[in-house]
Amino acid sequence: MSLSQAVLVFVVLAPGVVFAVFAVLWLLGWTPGERFLSWVTGLTFAASAIAIAAIVWSIASGSTVTVTFGNWFAVGDYHFPLVLMADRLSLPFLALTVVLSGLIAQFSATYLHREQGFFRFFLLLHLFTFGSSLAFAAGSFDLLAAGWEVVGITSVLLIGFFQLRPAPVENGLRVFGIYRACDIGLFVAVFAMHHWAGTASFDRGFPTLAGSQAVVVCVLLLLAAAGKGAQIPFSGWLPRAMEGPTPSSAIFYGAISIHAGAYLLLRAQPLLARSALASAMVILTGLATAIHGTIVGRASADAKTSLAYATLTQVGLVFIEIGLGWKWLAVAHILGNATVRTMQFLRAPSMLHDYHQMHSAIGGEVSATGKQMEELLPEGVQLWLYRWAFDRGHLDTILDRWVIDPLLEVSAYLAKHDRAGLTRSTIRPGNAAPITLRDPAKQGSD
Amino acid sequence: MSVPGWVLHEPFVTGVSIGAPWFGAVLVTGYRRHARIIGCATAFVSIFASSVLLADAGNSESLYPALMLLFSCLTFGATLLLPLRDCTPKTVGGILFLLGSTLLVYSAGNLLVLLAAWILSIVPFLRTGWFRARAWRPLAGLLLSTLALALAIGLILISTGIISINHLKGQSPGGVLAFALLVMAVIFRKGICPAHAWVADAAETGPVLPTALLLNGHFGALLVAKLIVPLFPRTDRLFPVLSYLAIVTAVYVAIRALTENSPRRLLAFLGLSQSACILSGLESRTGEGIAGAIVHWFVVAISTVALFGILRLLEVRFGENLTGSKHLGLAEHAPRLAVSFVIFGLALVGLPGTLGFCSQDLLIHGALTSHRLIGLLLPIATAMNAVSFFRLFTRLFLGKRRTGFTVMADALPRERWILAAGVLFVVLGGLFPNAILIQRSSEANIVQEAIRTAAALNPVGRVDGQPRKLPITATR
Repeated sequence: MSLSQAVLVFVVLAPGVVFAVFAVLWLLGWTPGERFLSWVTGLTFAASAIAIAAIVWSIASGSTVTVTFGNWFAVGDYHFPLVLMADRLSLPFLALTVVLSGLIAQFSATYLHREQGFFRFFLLLHLFTFGSSLAFAAGSFDLLAAGWEVVGITSVLLIGFFQLRPAPVENGLRVFGIYRACDIGLFVAVFAMHHWAGTASFDRGFPTLAGSQAVVVCVLLLLAAAGKGAQIPFSGWLPRAMEGPTPSSAIFYGAISIHAGAYLLLRAQPLLARSALASAMVILTGLATAIHGTIVGRASADAKTSLAYATLTQVGLVFIEIGLGWKWLAVAHILGNATVRTMQFLRAPSMLHDYHQMHSAIGGEVSATGKQMEELLPEGVQLWLYRWAFDRGHLDTILDRWVIDPLLEVSAYLAKHDRAGLTRSTIRPGNAAPITLRDPAKQGSD
Repeated sequence: MSVPGWVLHEPFVTGVSIGAPWFGAVLVTGYRRHARIIGCATAFVSIFASSVLLADAGNSESLYPALMLLFSCLTFGATLLLPLRDCTPKTVGGILFLLGSTLLVYSAGNLLVLLAAWILSIVPFLRTGWFRARAWRPLAGLLLSTLALALAIGLILISTGIISINHLKGQSPGGVLAFALLVMAVIFRKGICPAHAWVADAAETGPVLPTALLLNGHFGALLVAKLIVPLFPRTDRLFPVLSYLAIVTAVYVAIRALTENSPRRLLAFLGLSQSACILSGLESRTGEGIAGAIVHWFVVAISTVALFGILRLLEVRFGENLTGSKHLGLAEHAPRLAVSFVIFGLALVGLPGTLGFCSQDLLIHGALTSHRLIGLLLPIATAMNAVSFFRLFTRLFLGKRRTGFTVMADALPRERWILAAGVLFVVLGGLFPNAILIQRSSEANIVQEAIRTAAALNPVGRVDGQPRKLPITATR
């Protein structure tokens, strides 16, 4: 194994090892102090950042760093390859993950000082960094899916970070449901690649698929990307995810997780380029999301949600760029957007303080920024648009009415029939009535 | 000093593995003291004997010793997890009796022995005051499955006069009627739709851990692997019906679980939905599907018993009216139980980092290869199960801290160690799955080899470009 290969393995595994060691120690009854935890975390991310610089140096000479560990598991002709790869596409994402995670860790050491879940947060931050590094450094869609899932579950656990309140917990559940539903697309796409091309690896060239097969795979990948990237019609989960602590919102929904869908599509670019239909679908999804995001963001009442929708708008534009085949513009757009949004999210809690400082510095109020474009519309349309934006494009309502409620009604119907044979004495107390998920926050606070 | 040769003979070791728990059951019932110690000791003897059998077995013979080892370990773990109030001589005796009967079912090579062991395994669940559930459907499900099996075996005996399973291989004894009766036995015992309701009733109204052990014997899947597949190679057009029913069950129960409030019923539904996938994997006729099904069998058994065990510990500590209708905030009081619960649950629904991810990946690939459209339902069912499990986890463990509990009610050392062992299995198994898969895939290869042999016996043409539907034959 060459130095650059060893360094790549280190970058991916280091946060995973830190997570595993601290988790095992906690299970055995030892919880590290805040200072020690911050110190170990800082050391890990600093070493990873230096390691990334080494890989950049190696890749600058034009080669791709690939590490093959054989198969994670294999049965007959089917195998799950364990290949890590750093090329010109994955490296910016790896660097972004390591640098921003380190930044967030340093910020959180102060921001979450004496917070009850300090240890939990850092544990999950390491797990998230491991998951996203695995997804970005994966040499096959199989491994990418594994990292993708780890990012998803970490994201959900951090949304429910303030676990004593029902709303964050229920919102986390909602996000988890959408993630799982959309991830079906990724799993079936991976299966389809195995079935049609015999492999889902891309370390030695992309799987060869016929025209219609490429369209099917691209559409399935688009489903997964839209779920993770909060694209229409799944955008409703994004404001719910703002229930988590600000540093996790910054790293997940300002920087890394929200762009993971775009990365997936960038990885599938060779397939997209051969499928006009799938490219058009990507462009339309991005366009609809960008318009939706910019309008809804203007009606958002809190800073974090406004920022989330600003990010969403940009991710929508990134999807358009990917659909048009402007790969490197999309990468540059992602890097810029992720960095700026992270900074904005981290400053969001002290926004008022920042404004006051600015006012003091310039010696008065900040001048008006100019007229809003929506003022050009007739008043009736403005009102309608405001209501539409205030309800976030009715996306959650539509999802509830057309998907979730019917599913729950079917479930309740089945429950009624299942319980038909039970007498009251055999039903345990408190469990007689089926639940509804229509108003999760209310449900949780019963 | 050398060990006499007969000591290491398979029949003797098998006898020890089965006899030890039965002896333990008699001892604990008569002596009525040190129930947990006797239970653990005799279960440990079974573990040791099963390990010897597994080490001694060739690749093609390793499935049943592996299952014996698994069930012995489950019983050992369940005995350790039993809360003090449940750890009565009657309960431990019943669990040991169930262990002996189950091991006899796994190792039986004779139809009459199989039937007798099958009947013995349900005896504790028939008697009022032992493990019998308050609801009537568990009793009906168990009795109907036994009746169907008895009629099938009777029919086979009348038509062939042979009782050795090995001698009946490939003969389709008793014809379609015997096959149909065996399928009925599987449907009732496994809880396949429309006979699924008894499983949740048993979990809800019966003793938790013994019921979990009964369900995780997976006798339905065993019947498929032991009798239906090897004895009926000419039923390749009928056999997929069972697979379709299993997939429908997985989806039906997953939908049903979405609005379930009772933690016991919800866990039963999740276990049932995930274990229904085992049948579709076995029927998939692909190497990865069969190997995935066998590994999934292990994952479902360990995860489900552990989840039921943790739930019982919570019931004992916080009251028996736990519900999924509101947030109970138990993680504040029992953080390690919460972490164990979430790890076992995520393994059950196949999230990465656990062995469940590998088994689901293989199983879904196998099912999709075999039945492209209906196989799509499996990932959908798994996604719904994940949501239901996560809902249960959040409702039980997250939320406002409960008042009235000033002490920690977390896992005791004996509970912590056995849960840690289970967590290590599912996590290390997920990180290094080849260690477990190599043997399972060799068993799957044997099955595939047998499929080819059966195909030669019973050639069928391609239908609409679909892969040739091949009957599975012997796994042993």
